[in-house]
Amino acid sequence: MRMKQTKPFPYFVGVYSLEELVGKDSRVCVINILGNESRKVTPVSHAYSGGNVVAGVQYGRTGELETPIGPVEVYPSVLAVMEAGRHFDTGVIYLPPSAVAQAASELVTFNPDLKRIVIVTEKVPTSDSRDIRFICQEAGVDVIGANCLGVANAWDKVRIGGALGGDHPEETLRAGSVAIHSNSGNFTTTIAEYLRIAGFGISTAVSSGKDIYIHFALPEFLYAAQNDPRTKAVAIYVEPGGYYEHEALRMIRDRVFAFGKPMVVCVTGRWKKNVSRSCGHAGALAGSGDDAASKEAWFDEYFGVPVFDPTDPRVSKRGVRVASIQHFPDAMRAVYAAIDEQSDFTPDGDLSLKPWIRDTRVTLPSALDIPLVHPPEPYGEQFRAAYRLIGSQPLRRSMRNTSGASRMDPATQVAELHGVSVLDLSTRPLEDNLYFALAKDFPTDEDRRSMNTILHLCARLAKPDLDAVSKARAAGATPNAIAAAALAQQGDPRWIRRTRAYAAWLIDLIREHGIDEQTEHIPAEVGIDAAKTIFFPADHDAEQADTHEPVEHDEVSDFLLTAFRDSEKSCAALHVCRYLIDLAEDRKQQIVDLREFLLASAIVCLFWKPMLKRRITRHGIENAAAHLAAVVCVLACAVDDPAGNEAWKRCATGPLRGLANSFGDTAFAYLFNREPTPEQAREFAMLLGLTITNGPGTLSAKGAKESVSARNHVSMAYVGFLANTGLAHGGNGFEAVKYLLEQFEHTKLKNPAEPAAEINLDELARNAASRYGEFKREQRAIGVMRPAPIPCINHPVFRGAAVNTDPREDFVRRTLAESDIPNVFLEFYHRLVIELQEQGITPNVFCVNIDAVLAVIALKLAWGDLKSQAMSENRLQEIVFSLFLYGRITGIMAEVIDHADRGRDLDCRTPQSELAFVR
Amino acid sequence: MQLSGLKYGATLLDLVGFPHPEFLTGSATNAEIRRLIDAHGRIVVKPVFHEAAGKKGKAGLVRIVDSVHDALAAKRDLFFATHRVGNRTVRANGVTFEAFIESDAEIYFAINESTRDRKPAFTISPFGGTEVEDLAVENLRTVWIDPFMGLKSFDVTNALRELGCPSEYVSPLVQHLPSMWDLYEDYGLTTIELNPIRLHRDADSGQLVPFACDVKAAFDQDNPARKRTGLSDSIFRLDESQFEDEINRLRTYRGQSDAIEMNPNGTILPFMFGGGAATAATETLGERAIFSSDFGGNPPYEKMYDITRIALRHHLAAANVLLVIGGKANNTDIYVTFRGLFDALRDHCAERGTPNIYVVVGRGGPNLVRGMSYARDVLDALGMPYSMFGHDTSMIQVLEYALRIDEWWGNERQPAVQLPETAATV
Repeated sequence: MRMKQTKPFPYFVGVYSLEELVGKDSRVCVINILGNESRKVTPVSHAYSGGNVVAGVQYGRTGELETPIGPVEVYPSVLAVMEAGRHFDTGVIYLPPSAVAQAASELVTFNPDLKRIVIVTEKVPTSDSRDIRFICQEAGVDVIGANCLGVANAWDKVRIGGALGGDHPEETLRAGSVAIHSNSGNFTTTIAEYLRIAGFGISTAVSSGKDIYIHFALPEFLYAAQNDPRTKAVAIYVEPGGYYEHEALRMIRDRVFAFGKPMVVCVTGRWKKNVSRSCGHAGALAGSGDDAASKEAWFDEYFGVPVFDPTDPRVSKRGVRVASIQHFPDAMRAVYAAIDEQSDFTPDGDLSLKPWIRDTRVTLPSALDIPLVHPPEPYGEQFRAAYRLIGSQPLRRSMRNTSGASRMDPATQVAELHGVSVLDLSTRPLEDNLYFALAKDFPTDEDRRSMNTILHLCARLAKPDLDAVSKARAAGATPNAIAAAALAQQGDPRWIRRTRAYAAWLIDLIREHGIDEQTEHIPAEVGIDAAKTIFFPADHDAEQADTHEPVEHDEVSDFLLTAFRDSEKSCAALHVCRYLIDLAEDRKQQIVDLREFLLASAIVCLFWKPMLKRRITRHGIENAAAHLAAVVCVLACAVDDPAGNEAWKRCATGPLRGLANSFGDTAFAYLFNREPTPEQAREFAMLLGLTITNGPGTLSAKGAKESVSARNHVSMAYVGFLANTGLAHGGNGFEAVKYLLEQFEHTKLKNPAEPAAEINLDELARNAASRYGEFKREQRAIGVMRPAPIPCINHPVFRGAAVNTDPREDFVRRTLAESDIPNVFLEFYHRLVIELQEQGITPNVFCVNIDAVLAVIALKLAWGDLKSQAMSENRLQEIVFSLFLYGRITGIMAEVIDHADRGRDLDCRTPQSELAFVR
Repeated sequence: MQLSGLKYGATLLDLVGFPHPEFLTGSATNAEIRRLIDAHGRIVVKPVFHEAAGKKGKAGLVRIVDSVHDALAAKRDLFFATHRVGNRTVRANGVTFEAFIESDAEIYFAINESTRDRKPAFTISPFGGTEVEDLAVENLRTVWIDPFMGLKSFDVTNALRELGCPSEYVSPLVQHLPSMWDLYEDYGLTTIELNPIRLHRDADSGQLVPFACDVKAAFDQDNPARKRTGLSDSIFRLDESQFEDEINRLRTYRGQSDAIEMNPNGTILPFMFGGGAATAATETLGERAIFSSDFGGNPPYEKMYDITRIALRHHLAAANVLLVIGGKANNTDIYVTFRGLFDALRDHCAERGTPNIYVVVGRGGPNLVRGMSYARDVLDALGMPYSMFGHDTSMIQVLEYALRIDEWWGNERQPAVQLPETAATV
């Protein structure tokens, strides 16, 4: 191949002066314009450069890219751009590495006016770079990159290629007299920023890339800088590897081209000599002559002075080498003095240590205790704004069939909520798991007491109309339908709206005024804010929106007022809350909606730390009251005898005492109308814990997520959950209970924890197995090849081994054994699977699955009532269904919050392409 | 990604049919070694280094033997031999037993990318058998290669003729050497060096045949053509630490994930962003940097999270300082990277407890303030002390400040910050 040559180089260089490299007349076509990086960078570049992008290419697609100064048209190929009459002289490539060489070839092939290609892509194979070089040399096209951020011309306010100067290029790229050539894209901007602070602006800055092939390298850069009337000096950042600098200096020395402007050069990377692998930029191979020390020596010899020493700033008119980039400003000043030139503008600072933020926990020694500085604007204002942003901030995306809350561990087939398996959750009481679903942390003892209190208060505030519930039950409605109806009636009541608004107001107030648990004196501005917004009678410029009348104190507000005054908790929300209560008293004013204000304060206080840790969103906290109200409403709907259920009466209308006691015990009492023993409380917690989630693919989770996707009130998301449960999902647990009832119907079992001697489990199991064997034979005889199985054995996931175990059931069995909590029904199941195998009915010992655990615990808890006829079989069936709802609602709460935090409206729709029509 | 020696180099030569001596690896039985000696008279025992390691002969690491006894003795001596290469010391892991090739001539041949000419080029010398740096300039020729034409025979002929190579050697070399371009081009190499090529007269045909008696190769890790060699990536990872291996497995074209363990006993755990920042920061931190890294290039959240979890798992326990350092980023979203990094720190602390370390941040770029605010909240909640600097402070000064913090924190190890009772976390 005969390659082009342009004097004075032995190869093609199409640039005489740096002014020409990119300028206001450059016209650009961006390849892969809608790709992740380009989509963000190109609009900023286009606007900064006065609209120089004439077209973009997105292979196979058409459309537009929105920019601040109007859209850029997108074509499916370079040929299509040309056919549309869009003229450009510069191509910018943002493609993945394997496609870059093809795109360069395409640009060269179809655009005879092409002058330059800027390749932003990293990790382009060396062989492709080689091919690009040859293609472009033959075509007479300059290449910048790859692995670079392109070129910026600060005089013309043009940048082409990557994101030099970041999202505010005008901030860093001030026009001036220094040209930059840097192997590092980041340092191109950083050096420009350092020079700007010292009063030096930029003529043209080139991010050269640092692959093995540097296409626009130092020789042609210096040549063009020499011919650029704007440029008085150059700043160069160099890394090990390659002889580009050696060649540039050789050409100057050999007078291949004249160069008389000073250079300030930084070479880093001496350490790379000691490693045999590249890290980041391509480095020099160990033992080669192009390592950092060699490069330093090349420049030192050219300058004739040693490396720059800020305390003794000696430079030559040719320039100087600096040991680190922080010396660029001082060295440039010294070089300008040597050539009798002035800096471009007045410096606006220095590069000394200026900590913006620091913790207040440790005391630094005086030498390290550098005073905090106020960040320059606009960063100071941004900090004030960002301080209000608190809590986790997940990016929004489609959450259809996706969850950030739950998943099924593919290895163990055990479901997890927030990374914790349901097995571990089953060892904790209901209130812990409800807290965990919201906070993603487990509660301390103090948190648990607060959680129980808030749950009990919500139970009073969100109590369902149990008369209506009773009527629905009498009409044959299933437990899920009853609860759904009650919740749907609840809507988004005023007390929840006000609590939500107060929670948001408190969070803003605390962050706005920088209050934390260490704050001793609440700023007076907090009181001024409050006086305008939440006190009654209001100040004349009040902003109260929802009401101007204070609600009279009620028992809940009185209770909370006392609790807040007595609390020893250390919490910003508590400090503020007390301060405002006292202030209102002092001013003889009242706090509007005091009850909701106090409830919101309690909630914010309870979840403040997880929010500060960015584990949960503020949206989650603001809506916590709505979620907890929905949960307690669903639980209360299981009460079947409101007049006789002591727990319900206590919650609904009784004196507010003992609220910090376990809400799990209250929930137990809703169902069974008695307090649980410690053993029953554990079994109950285990049962609920195991049911918390089965991953986001379950019908119940999908129902809730779809409701969120339709942007309903919080309560309606739980209606979605309930509507998606039924006799096949949730209600099916009773099949196993019924089976056990049949097996034990004629025994004299009184207490499933202490089976009497006359209960012969082996015989029961043997008979049950043989009855099933008989049933199976009969079924097959009439042609039913898959007779109905015994409920709760032979979970297909674990089929195959000689003796099968379900690890979840195994965990529960061991845990119960360790706690000395026997269960005769579970023991029966285990003997049954052995009998089935021994009688040849099953080929191996099937497993007792996790559903059996739920059934045996439920039956054990209800057995006494059943036997005493205090509970009917119908009621037992309801209870079994309700137990599923009781457990699953915790996981649903996490799922609903997660979807609301991350998802988008309508994201649960099924695309047309996935739908089918059948006849 | 380099390899040297015949153990793996022979695989490359076989791809293009370039002759090489028959050889056995260190696991050969005595009978196999005896058969090799019987067939060739003498054998050469060499240590196996996994990266380029020249001047083995001068260092006495190449033994020519003619008995099994001596071969085994050489194996014992060389199996774990160490060798100084520049500033580095490399350790062998095995030996090869190679047939000794009788020859009057030793040729040097290499192809690589010439950054002087910005073209691929081959270098050839009839005075091989020694390192190329030790050859006088007039004894070698470098000729550029047109990548679309490949290595041309007449270029080899002309170079050898100019160098005064005996004419009987030229023809066999011209026949075989162009295939090296096929190897270089088709399999993603950035360097291939055969040194020495020994020319051996075939007893039957009387023809001279070139045998590549040692091979060095460097691969372009960004070129998937490398996988066509059939060489397992694991042979390039032999000198990688577990930490490096885990980090480098995250390597994709979106966002960097390069890391080199510099000093596992270091006391500063540095997350460096940008190639320039990585180079400068590693230089400034010296041996106190546990690793050198470039995590720039606008990594997505998930990648930053995974990188951080790996780094913390391996190295947090030894550190006094966790350092986040970079210049003023252009297109790296600081908020996204800080979310990934500090979420990973939070989750690590939840699993393993909060470490007693100081956090220093020096950064600039898009969404800087949101990123710093996020970091501050997480660190405040964890009770970890910190100082954060923006882009109006010199990056190098932040590095020097981190060194001073490291010294103070290490010497007067500060007691863990006492927080009010915190939640037991998962």
